[in-house]
Amino acid sequence: MAGGALAQPLPLAPNKAFRFEARALNPQTIEARFSIADGYYLYRDRIHFSVEPATVPSTVPVLPEGKVKQDPFFGRVETYRGGVQVNIALKDTVPGQKVVVVVESQGCADVGICYPVQLQRVTVALPAANVAPTRPGQPKSWLN
Amino acid sequence: MALVVPALGLGIYAAMENRPSTDGTPVLALTLPDTSGKQQPLNQFRGKVVVVNFWATWCAPCREEMPEFVRAQAEFGDRGLQFVGIAVDEADKVDRFSKELGLNYPTLIGGYGAVELSKTLGNNLAALPFSIILDRKGAVVHTQLGPLKPDQLRSIVGKLL
Repeated sequence: MAGGALAQPLPLAPNKAFRFEARALNPQTIEARFSIADGYYLYRDRIHFSVEPATVPSTVPVLPEGKVKQDPFFGRVETYRGGVQVNIALKDTVPGQKVVVVVESQGCADVGICYPVQLQRVTVALPAANVAPTRPGQPKSWLN
Repeated sequence: MALVVPALGLGIYAAMENRPSTDGTPVLALTLPDTSGKQQPLNQFRGKVVVVNFWATWCAPCREEMPEFVRAQAEFGDRGLQFVGIAVDEADKVDRFSKELGLNYPTLIGGYGAVELSKTLGNNLAALPFSIILDRKGAVVHTQLGPLKPDQLRSIVGKLL
């Protein structure tokens, strides 16, 4: 009864609001993407990727531009809504090996709450050998 | 008898999935450093109506509601209202923001351990801002995930002062 008809649904858990997925495009490339629920946003400068094990050097491209806004305390900040995607380049991989994509992120909901930094990990099995080439994706954000 | 005040449609998520503890003892038992590093026990505020506000500089909604806390502290402080901030943040950023805002109540550095404490008080999502209001006996009478509206804040504390 609390809140009655005016009550709003609880905000999503952060891993639902900011759903993270990663998949191998080929043995040297992982596509990593956030799908961001409506009404939620991620801060660009608070997204950090890494790949484990450390024996697999990785290169994360510059993240795509986000929506710019002026924050009274932090100045210029960029946010992503809808989603954001990057391709992570790997070196020295072993065919068939599994790697773990680790991402830190921090975001908020339009209803007026923010989540602490989230750490998400996705294990990706690399293809055993070069398979049909997958079109290389460019970093992008979508749905503004 | 301590009761959790329902949201009344004013707060966004005061009614949480799990009933938060109505015992404010764990909060008042805290001792946390202020921005200068000095340890501050919260039980120094026992006997007052205490609004404990979990916040961070990286949380824009947190910063937006704090000027109202400053106004309320100035207006009702001599009647026994005491705001206490617990920042899930780094001391230098907290200090800078506190000075910019002209904060007139203590804000302590809770780090991410403070998030865990807030979970036991009903903040299941560990999100910010999260506020709890304690009566003069130390009972939790209201918890709020999301900003406290000025009218809502004044309505709740007005009954407790």
